[in-house]
This record gives sequence, structure tokens and C-alpha cells, in this order.
Amino acid sequence: MMIEPLYIQGNRWLHRLPAKYKLAALVAAGIGLFFIQNVWALSGAFVVSGALVWATGVSAGVWWRQVRGLIWVVLTIGIFAVVFQGWLPAAVVLLRIGALVGLAMAVTLSTRSSDLIAVCERALLPLERLGWVDASKVALALALTLRFVPEIWRHYQEIREAQAARGLARHPVALIVPLIVRTLKRAQQVAQAIDARS
Amino acid sequence: MKTQDTVLIALFAALIVVLSLVPPIPLPAIPVPVTLQSLGVMLTGAMLGPLRGGLACLLYLLLAAIGLPVLPGGRGGLGVFFGPTGGFLLGMALGAFVTGWLARRLVRTSSQGAMSVVGYAVACIAGGIGAVYLIGVPWLASVTQMELSKAILAVLVFIPGDLVKVAVASWVAWRVERVWPILRESP
Repeated sequence: MMIEPLYIQGNRWLHRLPAKYKLAALVAAGIGLFFIQNVWALSGAFVVSGALVWATGVSAGVWWRQVRGLIWVVLTIGIFAVVFQGWLPAAVVLLRIGALVGLAMAVTLSTRSSDLIAVCERALLPLERLGWVDASKVALALALTLRFVPEIWRHYQEIREAQAARGLARHPVALIVPLIVRTLKRAQQVAQAIDARS
Repeated sequence: MKTQDTVLIALFAALIVVLSLVPPIPLPAIPVPVTLQSLGVMLTGAMLGPLRGGLACLLYLLLAAIGLPVLPGGRGGLGVFFGPTGGFLLGMALGAFVTGWLARRLVRTSSQGAMSVVGYAVACIAGGIGAVYLIGVPWLASVTQMELSKAILAVLVFIPGDLVKVAVASWVAWRVERVWPILRESP
């Protein structure tokens, strides 16, 4: 299993816009949209965010994989809202959710993870001056996590296969105890290796 | 914070990613599929303690926020945080902290087996369910403009699955702690 970012290669205007402006606009929109109650204004916002997602050049398949998980949640909310509050409040709620999710998706699709990490590091700088966080440790932790997701995934598969070979059904306790012990052992090795080289 | 702590935080964040991505397990008599994401949160809190556990969850959320598909179903990106279930994600960090804080207080190294499991279970219920829903449900209600009572009703369907995960997490935490006691040495 590979951990692929959602970012899509591209050189459209949305891709070229600096990450910090996109993030700032997203946060501002996230706050602003909660104050709008007018259904036409929200429809406008929804259309704009849909256009922005389209402007990233995302393929229908990738888009659908992202939306699929959300559809049941949104449908349930829609039904709840229609039943208990009526059509208009339901439309307001759904348009707002759709607009926000679309905007955030447009940012995610058009910005490299490394650029977002860089914005995070810069955002952490004031906290670092206060002595609350160590930005380099955060960067190390992020890199380690990305490095070890495939390895822990492989351990999971190996333990699964070993147990299936012994005729055991999928059993969460029997699966997770060895997985965690392996993870802890690996953490100890990695920590010793880092200390030895620094 | 020592190197070992940074590495443990990173590897447990990776473990939560893996648990989030394994296919959901259908349980008998429970209508919704159960993902192991919240099991990862409970385990991280119970084993790493409040500080490291909370930080591991924050790291996991940071990965999701910068657009990596680490949430169940391969989702990710900031959109999920602004969506109706965003509060449950933010609640996870608090949940791991509360689980860890309580587990450190309720479970002593000298505790008997059964008492340890019960201690971990109480910690997981308060953190992994209580704290997560404390943020998640009002968030859901405000994004969807549902009444709070109706939002509570809507999420009740997930509680049986969560209780199964509490049982698994407390049992696993106890078993692992017996073979790996060094985890308790730092915060």
C-alpha cells in the first residue's frame, strides 16, 4: 500500500496561488459561511466552490472516491433536516456543507502536501518562540509517520496471513496485540538509531 | 521530550492510519459498519499516556488536514474538518488525552489483572466515547442546525460498536502492558 497525497499535478492558476493565501481564504470562508442564512447567497457560494473544484482539473473517479464516504452522512442530515425543519432550512444546511467541503477540496487538490507542511511550520513559529513546540521535532515526526505507515500496514497483512494459515478467523485482539508489540519494538530500534547518529 | 517519545508519537500516529484504513468489520446486531479508527485513539491514549497520546492524535489529524487520505474510506483534506463530522475528528485528540490521563490514574502497576482491565475500560469510555462525542455532537448539531437532542439521537446508533471497541482496547492495553512495561516511564 502506498500513501498517495490527494494533490493533482497541474499548473493552473489555482495551483500557482501560494498555499498560505489559499489556506487563509479557506479559514475565512469557513467562518463567514456560518453567518449567511440566505439560500440564494449560499447557492452562489456552492456554485463558486464547485467551479473551483472543477478548476483543479480533478478527474471524476478521484472526485467520486472523496465524495463517496461523505454521501451517507450528508443524506442522513438532509432527511433529518427536511423532516424536522422543512425544505428551506434543509437546503441552507446542505448548501453550506457542500460549499465548505468543495472549497476545502479545491485547496487540497491544488496544493502539495509539502507546501502545506511548510505553511504549518511557519504557523508554528510563534509557538516555537514561546517555547511551546519544537518545529523540527514536528517535521521529524511527520516524516517518520509517512515512512512507517506502509511498514505497519505490511505487518498487519503478515499477521493476518499467519493467523489465516493457522485457521484462525479474523479476531481483533489476536491481531492487534502482536501488531502493537511489533510497533513498539520498531519504535525502540528507530529511537536508538536516531540517537546513535546524532 | 526524548527522541524515543517523538518516535513513539510518530509510530502510533502511523498505527492509527493503518487501523483507519483496514476494511470495516461488520458486527452482528450492530447496524453500522465499525471502523477501527476510534480503537486506535483509545489504544494510543491508554498506552502512551495523556501528553504523547494526544500529540499522536494531533499528528494524525495534521496528516489528514494537509490532504493525505488517512481517514476511513481513504478520505482526507480540510473539507472533512469543516463538514458535519469534523467535531468527531477534533474530539479524538481530546479523547486520547482524557483516556491517557484517566488510565494513568486508575491503573497502577500493582493492580490485579481484572482491576487493570476495568480501569482501562473506564478510561476508554470517558475518553474514547465521552470526550469525542462531547465535541462531535454539538458540532454536528451546529453545522446541520439540528436540535442537540436530535443529534444525540442520531449518533446513538454508534454507541454499541464503540462499547465493543472499549472492551477490545482495554483488554489489549492490559495484555501489552504486561509484556512492555517501559511505556509508563514518561508522561
